[in-house]
Amino acid sequence: MSTLRTEEMTLNMGPQHPSTHGVLRFVVRADGEVMREAIPDVGYLHRSIEKIAEKVGYRGFMPYTDRVDYVCAMFTNQGWGMACEKLAGIEVPRRGEYCRVIATEFNRIASHLLSVGAMAMDIGAMTPFAHVIREREMINDLIEELCGARLTFNYMRIGGVAWDLPPGWREKALAYLDHFNPILEEYNALISWNKIYVERLANVGVITAADAINYNLVGPNLRASGIKWDIRKDIPYSVYPEFEFEVPVGNGQWGKLGDSMDRYVVRIREMAESSKILRQALEKIPPGAVLAKVVRNFKPPAGECQIRVESARGDMGWYLVSDGSGYPWRVHVRTGSFAAMGIIQKLSAGLMIADLVTLIASLDVIAPEIDR
Amino acid sequence: MHTLIENLIASGVFGKNPPRDLVAAIVVFVMSLVVFLGVALPFGGIVTWVERRVWARIQSRVGPNRVGPQGFLQWLADGIKIVCKEDIIPDEADSRLFKMAPYLVMLAFVLPWAVMPFSSSLILANMNVGILYMTAVTALTVVGVLMAGWASNNKWSLIGGVRSAAQIVSYEIPAGLSIFPVVLMTGTLSMQGIIRGQGWAPQHWFLFANPFTFVAANILYMSSLAEANRTPFDLPEAESELVAGFATEYSGWRYACFSMAEWGNLYIVGAIITTLFLGGWQFPHVTSNVVAMNVLEVITFNVKVLFLVFVSMWIRATLPRVRIDQLMTACWKYFVPIAFVNMIGTAVWVAIWPDGNVAMGYIMFAGAIVLGALFIQRVIYYLRRSRMEVYFNPTI
Amino acid sequence: MVLEYVHNIKDTVSTIFEGMAVTASHFMRKPYTVQYPDRMPVRVQDTLPFRYRGILDVDLEICTGCLACERACPIDCIVIVAEKDQQTRQLLLSQFDIDIAKCMYCGLCSEACPTGSIHHTTEFEGADYSLESLIRRFVRDPVMAYKAKKGPETDPKIAPILSRGMAYLDQWAQPGGEKPAGDEPA
Repeated sequence: MSTLRTEEMTLNMGPQHPSTHGVLRFVVRADGEVMREAIPDVGYLHRSIEKIAEKVGYRGFMPYTDRVDYVCAMFTNQGWGMACEKLAGIEVPRRGEYCRVIATEFNRIASHLLSVGAMAMDIGAMTPFAHVIREREMINDLIEELCGARLTFNYMRIGGVAWDLPPGWREKALAYLDHFNPILEEYNALISWNKIYVERLANVGVITAADAINYNLVGPNLRASGIKWDIRKDIPYSVYPEFEFEVPVGNGQWGKLGDSMDRYVVRIREMAESSKILRQALEKIPPGAVLAKVVRNFKPPAGECQIRVESARGDMGWYLVSDGSGYPWRVHVRTGSFAAMGIIQKLSAGLMIADLVTLIASLDVIAPEIDR
Repeated sequence: MHTLIENLIASGVFGKNPPRDLVAAIVVFVMSLVVFLGVALPFGGIVTWVERRVWARIQSRVGPNRVGPQGFLQWLADGIKIVCKEDIIPDEADSRLFKMAPYLVMLAFVLPWAVMPFSSSLILANMNVGILYMTAVTALTVVGVLMAGWASNNKWSLIGGVRSAAQIVSYEIPAGLSIFPVVLMTGTLSMQGIIRGQGWAPQHWFLFANPFTFVAANILYMSSLAEANRTPFDLPEAESELVAGFATEYSGWRYACFSMAEWGNLYIVGAIITTLFLGGWQFPHVTSNVVAMNVLEVITFNVKVLFLVFVSMWIRATLPRVRIDQLMTACWKYFVPIAFVNMIGTAVWVAIWPDGNVAMGYIMFAGAIVLGALFIQRVIYYLRRSRMEVYFNPTI
Repeated sequence: MVLEYVHNIKDTVSTIFEGMAVTASHFMRKPYTVQYPDRMPVRVQDTLPFRYRGILDVDLEICTGCLACERACPIDCIVIVAEKDQQTRQLLLSQFDIDIAKCMYCGLCSEACPTGSIHHTTEFEGADYSLESLIRRFVRDPVMAYKAKKGPETDPKIAPILSRGMAYLDQWAQPGGEKPAGDEPA
């Protein structure tokens, strides 16, 4: 019998696809169900935001930072604010820092909720996604009362935040947290510990600790591989040293260390930790100003500075070069999703197509953050 | 059916001395029309509306409630819309196979209604191999799905079609093996015979007759879900991976054929389980009026079948999807061995107690009530913990 | 190995049981849906918070023509023409256009306004059939710009508008300003 000729298929998981998180393209070489390689193709959502900064100036750029990562916009706002403050030597008042922490931790919960919900939907369960959206809507209602918008907040300014907590907001926020913790447990009972779900996620897309460091992964992706690195604890900024919280690290309980289940559970645990931080912040918030005095025409001295913020997707780096005029010379954002795209090609060998979807979902890739 | 025809002739509706064969043919034909056009096809549509409302309540939303009272005409609107769509056939597709595939799948959906036992005398064809016929005919979907996947000239459809064929063929085995315990207990393959072997009370159902049939019922239910391409086994139409699987290239009313067959299959799955394990149309003999008894039996049958359809929707909303290799592992390493054990265990049971053991029926029924109470206790626990408002009204 | 087999079955059944209990509990809960726009007791726009950043509106009675909003806008969607009238030596506003299709609802213009003339409303339904209608032209006939008075505003037509504008501005954080110790205990 002559040998059968088999071909490998080249599939295009194109920019329009129900399961890629945003506008991403993968060229997949597959042998039936098992893949040989999945080559990511990015750039479909490039909007030249970094170049726009050079035109609109320091104050005007703040709304644009929301669009760098619209799911966790508070972190981008904070990053830009901190970069300008560091360059100009401005100190944010304590109440302003507390407001920033409260806003960013709420946004971390919202972003992780979306991530775990989208992951569940990619695996096939529709209900957890709907529940997650309901919880996000409640958080969005709170933030809408605080700053007026539900997605692109533009909450922070150079020198602090733009709005103080409205009267009665603290009680509403604490009531929401009391509602949220049991809902998180219920969510876990529904999907996280479900045997079918665990089987789909365990041992899929294992990222070893060495690989995670070599490929520049950050955030929950890095922590799930066992490396305890969180900017809030290791390079502390803002008022994070005043709060007591743990940094969840993956422990390989359901499969190998660094598989998709570890990344998923790290995000769930981070949400619980964020609610702890929020309770402490809402209790301890001091009175005072929330915005430092900054001149109208903000002109930082010439020089460069670099800021790292622990966003929901990891260590977000902001690099700002100023030439002394009212417009930045160069702005660069370094996001965790861009690095995560690099490791997909290496991990995809030997994976099934269904697992590729799981892998992308577990890396929590958001397309606007990749392309800016 | 025979008694119905005899009663109709005796009541003089057809005149003095009608030719028997012609009368039988006309009555069966009219009943088939009623069943197919009045029950089967509208069911395929209405169940989409029910499914969407049920899913929506599970997901804290409302579901369609604008088109008609409580949104009841939503399925009609969707049906009219999908029929008015352009019928696209891909250029390079094998157009004869492409057009034939939906017909085969619809055939697999429509044919089992011929042996559906609605009541003691309302069954279109009282074959003595009823359950075998049903199993054989529902397997026609494999041919249709493979045809659809191949003829679409689309790599993604091909993957979906091949996955689906492998799945359906594999899960035929545990399904067939789980029918054997019931056949062993009654000694007949006919639907009415199996139902008459059970009683109207739960402890006389085959579900609670012995632990082997209890497990066999669950295996049959899950295998039937897998054959019907429902979550957790809905890889062929995994929306988040392959858009619509084998039916990606279909549009318009051809796609509606696939959809309707898939949703209508829920009823068939429910009917098989009801007939074999839940006592079918059995109702206590409260009146000797034949028409009233038949009506009550039809209602009983439908209540049981629709409850199982509801459970299918509930499962679909709750569980994630399994991967293709996990599906095969579940079938060949778990379902098939357990189904074999059930079959042998039931054979031993029937050898020891040929006339059945009612005590076991009571014990199993009590066990099921305990399980139900445990379930309700968990539900109340989640309701209390979540602090969300308790609200019973389904017609928001 | 047999133990693992039985364990797998037990795990599957128990976790599916829990999951079904959670979804069953959801049958008895009120849906979170807001059935906008027809089955609502109150208009949505009236339920939105005061700080909501909806479509922009300009109270021309209190606009001083300082062009702070035009300078602050990062996307150049505000076009103002304010010239000193030769005869009366007063600032005359002849054009005030906001392109709400370009506007990104960031609030930088409202923050920069000294009187609260340009402010966000709670209106969000701006969809229309023509692109022209998305440019809101607030000046029909040229009007004089507002001149802020030293003491409180005395004109009864302008005073309520001004007080509303200042109340809107009060929501914003004042640079270096202390938070009044009222409703927020330390």
